Amino acid sequence: MTGNSGNVENSTGIRVASVDDIPEGEGIAISSKITGTEDDIAILRDDDGTCWALNDTCTHETASLAEGWVEDGDVECPLHSSRFNLKTGKVDGLPATRDTVPHRVEVRDGEVYLFPGERP
Amino acid sequence: MTVTSVVVVGGGIAGVSTVAELRKNGYAGELTLVSADAVPYDRPPLSKAYLAGEKPLDAIALQRPDWYADQQISLIGDAVAVSVRPDAGEVELADGRVLPADRIVLATGGRAVRPTFGQLGRDAPVHVLRDVADADRLRTQLVPGARLLIVGGGLIGAEVASTARGLGAEVVLVDPLDPPLAAAVGTEVARWLHGLHAEHGGEALTTTVETLLEARAGVAVQLKGEPDSRRFDVVLLAVGLVSETGLAEAAGLETSRGILVDSGQVTSHPSVLAVGDCARLRDHPRAEHWEAAQRDGARAAATILGSAPPPATAPWWWSDRYGLHVEGVGEMRSPDAEHQTVVRGVVGQPPFSVFTLRGERVIGAVAVDDPNAVRAARRMIDRGVDVRASDLADPATDLRKLLRGTR
Repeated sequence: MTGNSGNVENSTGIRVASVDDIPEGEGIAISSKITGTEDDIAILRDDDGTCWALNDTCTHETASLAEGWVEDGDVECPLHSSRFNLKTGKVDGLPATRDTVPHRVEVRDGEVYLFPGERP
Repeated sequence: MTVTSVVVVGGGIAGVSTVAELRKNGYAGELTLVSADAVPYDRPPLSKAYLAGEKPLDAIALQRPDWYADQQISLIGDAVAVSVRPDAGEVELADGRVLPADRIVLATGGRAVRPTFGQLGRDAPVHVLRDVADADRLRTQLVPGARLLIVGGGLIGAEVASTARGLGAEVVLVDPLDPPLAAAVGTEVARWLHGLHAEHGGEALTTTVETLLEARAGVAVQLKGEPDSRRFDVVLLAVGLVSETGLAEAAGLETSRGILVDSGQVTSHPSVLAVGDCARLRDHPRAEHWEAAQRDGARAAATILGSAPPPATAPWWWSDRYGLHVEGVGEMRSPDAEHQTVVRGVVGQPPFSVFTLRGERVIGAVAVDDPNAVRAARRMIDRGVDVRASDLADPATDLRKLLRGTR
């Protein structure tokens, strides 16, 4: 499901998935090999259908946020239920204490484009 | 009366959550956190990553050290409160300082129960595990080949067994129950979890300790039903917790296996609240889990601010052993006329999850390496969603859809 056909162009972003590939309330991880970032990036689809992107690794331990539970503007880590705000990356619930990094995402024609390193 | 000063006594997850929630929800007055530790830290890693030496103390801090100043919280570390005087609105510290307090929140936690099994010197290698000093002492002895006896096969005993095996220690774990944790996770899952000790080279025995005696470079242990005593290098007692209620009792507050509180965390004195392991909701058992303590803090903050309490949610916990992640939510019950057990996947082949249903309502779930099943179950419980057992049991059913589709 990771977008291995992405083309790197900052102006248009990297096409990483079709929106329909990501069920509402879930996420997918995009490898750092594709994003060119230090960490993988989680594309997270809120239960209202909107898409967001955060660094994939929980700042508390080592879980993948793409495997977390996405709901009401937060992603909940699958290990210890730390919660991060989808838009800002800020910690909304312990045990994590360090905010994570948000990235800009755009949806065009049903495709998800990721802009690694750009703030939403 | 407007509350202008709050003193929280105790720097565990309950105390830190209380101060965090007060600030988050707009409390602007004086806020002081009295902590026995220099900087409050998180306890769950003490039996896992911290004990294993994989995480240092600063990596398990509950908040970054500069967070307290950012939040205008006066953190008084390495400090002990010796007296709380609710009528005078004062908390006195061991160094003689007296802090004014319109509201006092007791978050004094608990002590590990330390049964006596015979005469032991102060330096005998018989430990409990509650704080960093305990973990540090235990860790120095968990060397390859060291013989460790763990008394108690609950969550902490099992986690330490797993960590100790990882460090190369020989582990014997004793518990009178076979299997332990059946009430928390159901008998079938409990039996499989308990069996992991033997699978990973430990020895799990269903028995009790009769005596612990100091022996040359270790401890001689007589187990019930065994002809001879066994020698161990180190012993961990992991048999439960007793609430720290001394300050409350001295202040004349009502206590009974915990400082008794109402649903807003208020004790028998209206200006004193209690949260976490030191507190017990009247007519209920103590929860003794991390998230329960955090939620106590949120409720206490709401009470102080006069705002609506956070919505109730089914109790949730996690544990880790031998690289497996175990979570539970709500209440597990044995099958009977009212309750049925629904297995999703195969018990013993992670990922799997087990649910307790009362009629068509989920009331509890346990999952191994399947945390989102527990997250779904929690919402099913909280929202009172009706589900069919056959849907729940089918691993092909998307639990999110089940949750949404029947809302």
